[in-house]
Amino acid sequence: MQASRARLFKEYKEVQREKSADPDIQLVCDDSNIFKWTALIKGPSETPYEGGVFQLAFAIPEQYPLLPPQVRFLTKIFHPNVHFKTGEICLDILKNAWSPAWTLQSVCRAIIALMAHPEPDSPLNCDSGNLLRSGDVRGFQSMARMYTRLAAMPKKT
Amino acid sequence: MEGASAAAASSGCDYDEFQPQKKIPMVDAFSAPSTSNTNPSSEPSFVPSLEKEGNTIGFNDDSMQGVEKQMTPFVGGKHDIPMVMASGFEKPFVSDKEPLSALAAEFESGSPIIQEKIKLLGEKYTALRRTRGDGNCFYRSFMFSYLEHILVTENRAELDRVLVNIEQCRVDLFNLGYAEFTYEDFFGSFTELLEGCLPGTKASLSLTELLEKACDQITSNCVSCFSSPAVMFLRFVTSAAIQKRAEFFQPFVTAASRKSVVQFCKLCVEPMGEESDHVHITALCDALGVPIRVAYIDARASSNPANPNAPIIFDFFPYNQEEVQNNGSNCTDAANVSTDLSKQENPAPLVTLLYRPGHYDILYPL
Repeated sequence: MQASRARLFKEYKEVQREKSADPDIQLVCDDSNIFKWTALIKGPSETPYEGGVFQLAFAIPEQYPLLPPQVRFLTKIFHPNVHFKTGEICLDILKNAWSPAWTLQSVCRAIIALMAHPEPDSPLNCDSGNLLRSGDVRGFQSMARMYTRLAAMPKKT
Repeated sequence: MEGASAAAASSGCDYDEFQPQKKIPMVDAFSAPSTSNTNPSSEPSFVPSLEKEGNTIGFNDDSMQGVEKQMTPFVGGKHDIPMVMASGFEKPFVSDKEPLSALAAEFESGSPIIQEKIKLLGEKYTALRRTRGDGNCFYRSFMFSYLEHILVTENRAELDRVLVNIEQCRVDLFNLGYAEFTYEDFFGSFTELLEGCLPGTKASLSLTELLEKACDQITSNCVSCFSSPAVMFLRFVTSAAIQKRAEFFQPFVTAASRKSVVQFCKLCVEPMGEESDHVHITALCDALGVPIRVAYIDARASSNPANPNAPIIFDFFPYNQEEVQNNGSNCTDAANVSTDLSKQENPAPLVTLLYRPGHYDILYPL
């Protein structure tokens, strides 16, 4: 508990210091609980997520950084490796490839990279995975773009 | 799949789509005690439904406020421990010392070659200490064996020597671009632990205490818990050593895994539970300057015709040999060392491990 708190505090300071370094990621710690963080990430360009802003929720275990943070999309996203209903993310570094060398910030970067490079062969969202696996890139992109517009963009009035 | 509990649900890549009803209630497992684990009303409200999506999400502070409010009901989530070392193993991380006869007894009805090898092993070794087979056994065995060596021999010179190497590893990681805060805690706790192995400080440990602490679960949350942090320290050190000599290790890494050196370190060295092999042992031995001996016991006959059943002994000597040979002396003159190099005998191993396919334990010489 002590160790995780100390580490998270260091990450907090680092995030404050590097605020402008990564304009695509805004990582914010909960006011009252250092084990809860939120991130806003920008959808990578030249992907169907471009122009969208996606929220991630981080829940950090007491054994952090020996155990990975739990990260979920709060914004609906159509992506083979993100559960459509729960926002759970299938990403090796959040499971067995985790190591303390990763940080909350670098996890965000990894998630942005996953958005740009879906891995349809290990899908959490089978519909999305199947579109890509069957070669229907256009179908996948239009679905993904539609959900980006519906859920991840400001509504035009 | 009915009992697909936390573990299965968290394992990620299985097709959760097919069992949408089995969603685990979203309970904050961190700040709330586990008794609140049954809260069916807190449904997994992942996304505000599309109609509610009128509120814009932007990068300004105001919208962030809204975001946090929205999140409140479902931030947290059921926390499951996804990794091998978390639970479900009856064996302690490091067990009590056993006579070698215990190993012989285990193979009583097994392969005669193994029996013969164990018998021959008994001519040089008296005891073994088992470690848990959780993928960290090499590091854990090394860690305990080395600390025990320092503690039993009260070898201040060796401690001072290794501290210099550890400092170098810290610099190496920094130069490799690792963020300092990701590894400094592990380094700090390990050097503290090393100091504790020598008598005369407040933090000094007895062998019993060392063993007790080596068995700490990472889930036990105690402040002084060192077993897994120490393993992680060794993983960082190993990773740095491989990357530092990437050119040397590249062919071995590629042959074993078809990965680049950096990928290999990220995926096969740094994560807890990833098993170790020659590459890892060589690198760790180099980095800390600690010679390691490994006795291999398997059911194959050895190629040595004179003694086909002799256990194969592998010795790992540090690449940076002058470090080891400086042990106890103050000789830092590089030229001096290099001329001496050829005359030096190989250093005696400080750590001796028993390898059976897939697992490392600690071995004690006569």
